[in-house]
Amino acid sequence: MRYLNIKRIFFSSLFLINSLSANEKLFDEDIEKLLSITTESKVDVGSRDDERNYLSSNTPIDVVTNQQIKDCGLTSLIDVLRYYVAGFNAPETSIADGSDHVRAYTLMGMNPDQILVLINGKRVHTSALLHVNNTIGRGSSHVDLDTISLVSIDRIEILRDGAAAQYGSDAIAGVINIILKGSGYSNILNVQSGIRKAGDGEQLEANLFMSIPLKYDGFVNFTFDAKKQNQTQRAGLDHRVEIPRVTTHVGIPDYKNYIASVYTEILQENGTNIYSQLSVEHKDSEASAFFRPSNEISKSLYSDGFLPIIEAKIMDYIGVIGIKGELDDSITWDLSNSYGLNNFHYFVNNSMNYSLDASSPEKFDNGSLSFTQNTTTLEFKKDDDRFKIAGGLEFKYENYKIKKGDYESYIGTGSEGFAGYGPENEVDVDRDNYAIYIDGIYHLSEKIKLESALRYENYSDAQESTTSKVAISYKLTSKIMLRGSGSTGFRVPSLAQSFYSQTSSFIDSNNELTTQGTFRVDHEVSKSLGAKKLKSEKSKHLTIGTVFRPNKKTSLTVDYSYIVVRDKIVLTPDLSPRTQEQKEIFAKYNLSAARFFANAARMTTKGINIKLNHQYIASRNSTFDFGVWFSYSKNSVKKTDDISLSNSNNSTEIMIESGQPKDSLKLLTKYKYKKLETTLNIDRYGSYVQLMNDEIYKFNATWITDLNIAYKLTKNIKTSFGGINIFDAMPNKWDNLDGDLYGTNGIKQYSRYSPFGYSGAYYYIKLSMKF
Amino acid sequence: MFKIIVSIFIFSISLFSYETENILKVVIVGKVAKYITFPEKASKEFVITVYKNRCGTLFDDTYRNIKIKNKPVKINYIDNIDNIDNLGYTDILYISKITSSKLSEILKKTNNKDILTISDNRGFAEKGGVIQIYFVSQQLKLKINTQVATNKNLKIEPILLRIADIVKGNQ
Repeated sequence: MRYLNIKRIFFSSLFLINSLSANEKLFDEDIEKLLSITTESKVDVGSRDDERNYLSSNTPIDVVTNQQIKDCGLTSLIDVLRYYVAGFNAPETSIADGSDHVRAYTLMGMNPDQILVLINGKRVHTSALLHVNNTIGRGSSHVDLDTISLVSIDRIEILRDGAAAQYGSDAIAGVINIILKGSGYSNILNVQSGIRKAGDGEQLEANLFMSIPLKYDGFVNFTFDAKKQNQTQRAGLDHRVEIPRVTTHVGIPDYKNYIASVYTEILQENGTNIYSQLSVEHKDSEASAFFRPSNEISKSLYSDGFLPIIEAKIMDYIGVIGIKGELDDSITWDLSNSYGLNNFHYFVNNSMNYSLDASSPEKFDNGSLSFTQNTTTLEFKKDDDRFKIAGGLEFKYENYKIKKGDYESYIGTGSEGFAGYGPENEVDVDRDNYAIYIDGIYHLSEKIKLESALRYENYSDAQESTTSKVAISYKLTSKIMLRGSGSTGFRVPSLAQSFYSQTSSFIDSNNELTTQGTFRVDHEVSKSLGAKKLKSEKSKHLTIGTVFRPNKKTSLTVDYSYIVVRDKIVLTPDLSPRTQEQKEIFAKYNLSAARFFANAARMTTKGINIKLNHQYIASRNSTFDFGVWFSYSKNSVKKTDDISLSNSNNSTEIMIESGQPKDSLKLLTKYKYKKLETTLNIDRYGSYVQLMNDEIYKFNATWITDLNIAYKLTKNIKTSFGGINIFDAMPNKWDNLDGDLYGTNGIKQYSRYSPFGYSGAYYYIKLSMKF
Repeated sequence: MFKIIVSIFIFSISLFSYETENILKVVIVGKVAKYITFPEKASKEFVITVYKNRCGTLFDDTYRNIKIKNKPVKINYIDNIDNIDNLGYTDILYISKITSSKLSEILKKTNNKDILTISDNRGFAEKGGVIQIYFVSQQLKLKINTQVATNKNLKIEPILLRIADIVKGNQ
């Protein structure tokens, strides 16, 4: 009887459900409830179709929403992406000169300079820094994501597809499009403080977002962000000193970061929209080099050895101004100019120049790097019922400068820790390019959507290129969509790759002073090793996938990508002279090793991304969301330049192929009950290897757990606390590596490739106030 | 225990989940009418006119079995701005995203008509529309121009005014 009653309830409910369409049920909801529903995120990136969401896109797109940013308790954009995007890798490196201060990131194991970054669809300039050490991202300059405040962001779109035919150079591994908050956002003040489990790495951040509404939904949005981070210390004992002790700083750096930005849109009654964005960032960051044990030369200044501190002062500016309007019923235009400047100024403190003996200063100005980019774009868009078409012209100017440091920083062996840039390194080079592009979307039928793009680009210092893209989706049923795209792409060598040079002296693992350097391809040292003028990387992409939506609460996307990059630009390993001619040239510059950039490899990336999302609504006041996101990518590299790489070990190939986890699994959950929100995420980072002293060392896969608990104290005040890596998981140490600097019991006991760092658990508390 | 699980299951699938912006827009167009008193008109149907439909069959699908003001709902579609002059009887005019010049023209044409105008065009309420739909952080919001509503003899209930941003003045 009881069973029959349940059956009756069940079937009568099903009947009720079936008799009403989903939209009719929505109509019966309270209006307040309708206004609290979260809609599927829209996406702009990778298409001119402004009506689509991420599940209806022809190409795979991840979206990190404003709410997700608030839910994770992280304070930097790069960490948010690592947290939410499977296959996005951003290790925390240490003792790697400038790379300690501008974190590199990769997508599907591909270099950061193969990821184009946009803000509101406009190209962002890269950092002036070029990663030249053996870190992930080696050989690339990329956008410094720490220059953008999280509180200013509405959402982040990550296109996992080539898009050079739409955006030009660099869009090979994917495109990150950051959409800033527009009109209608509440003013908010956030204060957050956190600390590592070990009691160090304290962070304090305060940020403020203020919006002033203007006529016709225009706005002036202000963002201020101040953040301070103290270093973590995970160094092992230094066995090079008489009584072993911790001498070196190994961990995340000390820094202070300030960001101020203003984003405005002024709308006229006739639809004209004048928009602008001004952003200024200043970062002052400090990290160390390896400790220099006392020696005969240094005794005069430092009786007990010294730890050189490398200080980076980074200034970054973004200035965008534009005007949009309407030509007639269906044609709109957009004229804009985007300016970006990044200046990276090196200082070294607590150091000395061995060549100057006792007369050496202890503080050095080591010179600076700067990169400027100015892009002017005029775009027209025609929007018709069945098709949308856009075309435009773009003119871009770039400038790259290296300014020398103090004389004492570069003369002789240069300042210890990081030698200054000398007169021979100074450059002031520029280039320009223009592009013409056309991009269309055609709704061939209710079920088929076709997109195509064609772009011609001409750089003053590189070959002209024409790239194209076709993407199509087909709705097999109301619940299943098939999608695919094919495209060509390219990446011009950055000015830094063509013109960067620097030599440095340090004490190697054998405790010997050695000098090595990075040389321009047109330098005689590089030429003697086989360097040639750099040409553009060229790529081909294929993506196929499916979107399955059995109901509104569940979605499953599966996408396979295949990318081939020809003429991949790599920074060669440190090469030693082999021929007599090379030895003579090396002797002339007192060198032991040299490296330079070369189009030296063909790289293939195969990957699969799977995303399952489901929302379970337990009651009117409680919801449970969960997602299972998985990414697998396999990179293979084939040497194509016998001269540059054959004279070396396989470190380049090993780093590209196995230096990063191939697989990444994320289990994300969010439970919401009335005023309480709990986010619990579990990540699995796959294994990876690092080459050290010509031996391959493997590091195990690791599970990380993150937790955030938030409670709304009042309508406008919310407090949250939680932790990243709450169980304090650590990567395994080097396995039986016997070295003083890098070793199981050495100073650096963990690999710098660790995808989640090696600073351990981080706990925080946060207070947010809307006003 | 089984009963609890079944009840939760039934309850959960009878509620809503993530919606597209278009579905919410379509639903809210008719929903707001529940909170508005329209001038007395002799009509057996509640008429929603859609200018430049960009929502496929969503309007028809949603309102097929729904009654507003105890009347069945009729959906009219128009694409030509000249048809605004000959709208005939309509309670709501929903205007999809269009250019500002076209929007001004439509607002001018409907200025003296007792029609509830709704749109998601930017600045709609300030330009003389009655209810503007917009999305912030993936949530729908409303902006209401009370002055224009009064001019059109539309009486809006406080519950709707309380949850919307209010714009005053007729541009």
